[in-house]
Amino acid sequence: MANKNVSVWTSIPFWRRSAAWVTGFATILLIWLTFDTLGQISMGTDADLKNGVTKRVPGPTVINYKIGYEMSAKRGHEVPTIGEKQPFFGKEWSEQEAADLLHLGKLTSQAKNCMDCHTLLGNGAYYAPDLTKAWIDPAWQKGGPMQGMTGKNTVEEAMAEFLQHPSQYPTHARMMPNLGITAKEAKGLVAFLKHMSSIDTNGFPRNFSKTVDQFKTGGTNAH
Amino acid sequence: MFGLIEPFTDVNHSFFGMLNQGPLTLTIFLHTVIILPMFWIYFSEKKRLNK
Repeated sequence: MANKNVSVWTSIPFWRRSAAWVTGFATILLIWLTFDTLGQISMGTDADLKNGVTKRVPGPTVINYKIGYEMSAKRGHEVPTIGEKQPFFGKEWSEQEAADLLHLGKLTSQAKNCMDCHTLLGNGAYYAPDLTKAWIDPAWQKGGPMQGMTGKNTVEEAMAEFLQHPSQYPTHARMMPNLGITAKEAKGLVAFLKHMSSIDTNGFPRNFSKTVDQFKTGGTNAH
Repeated sequence: MFGLIEPFTDVNHSFFGMLNQGPLTLTIFLHTVIILPMFWIYFSEKKRLNK
């Protein structure tokens, strides 16, 4: 028989059980999500690249390959593609060399605090251009204004030159200051940027130009 | 079923990725699995208090 004077809402055991359920479920869910994420963000290896295994974050030797960015009809956004071999600073980097270079680049990006102005993988500021896909930015490709400005013939050399002397190259009103980046550090940074552009970010950032032609016709890019 | 579950397209297969395909979002899923058992907690407590 229902007792009209009984209220579940004022019952302590009800709130205790509810809180235990929500807290317990959330704890298990967060632990599960942590391992789920770890599996997705763990870096691939050189063997993965050679065998064509698709990883969200490819191994460091991805700097030896041509990185593309193609629309995937299935996924509804652009996806980085790893193409044929392409020399990086005129050579092919071994697994160890590539890992060391990438590590130097990461440390330099932290030491020079790139995120103070730039955005990397969604983290950082919006004062300067988003660098997530900087490597495939048409402005840095052959025929693009950034590469043309530095007078270099490859993306990596143009970027390295710019990074060492940013204040010499007028970009736009918000010019990059000279951060005292050495030639070696600049190489590392460019490797870091190339690797970052090969990371599958589910189409982030949006509205990124795909080709030099599109850039020339006034298509939007990441700037 | 109402396009609620769509084919998986993400690069890495994951349970949570599957939940985020289409209109069936993680939010709706979490509300379902957290709130529905709370109805059961409510009615079982009510039954206990009535005894």
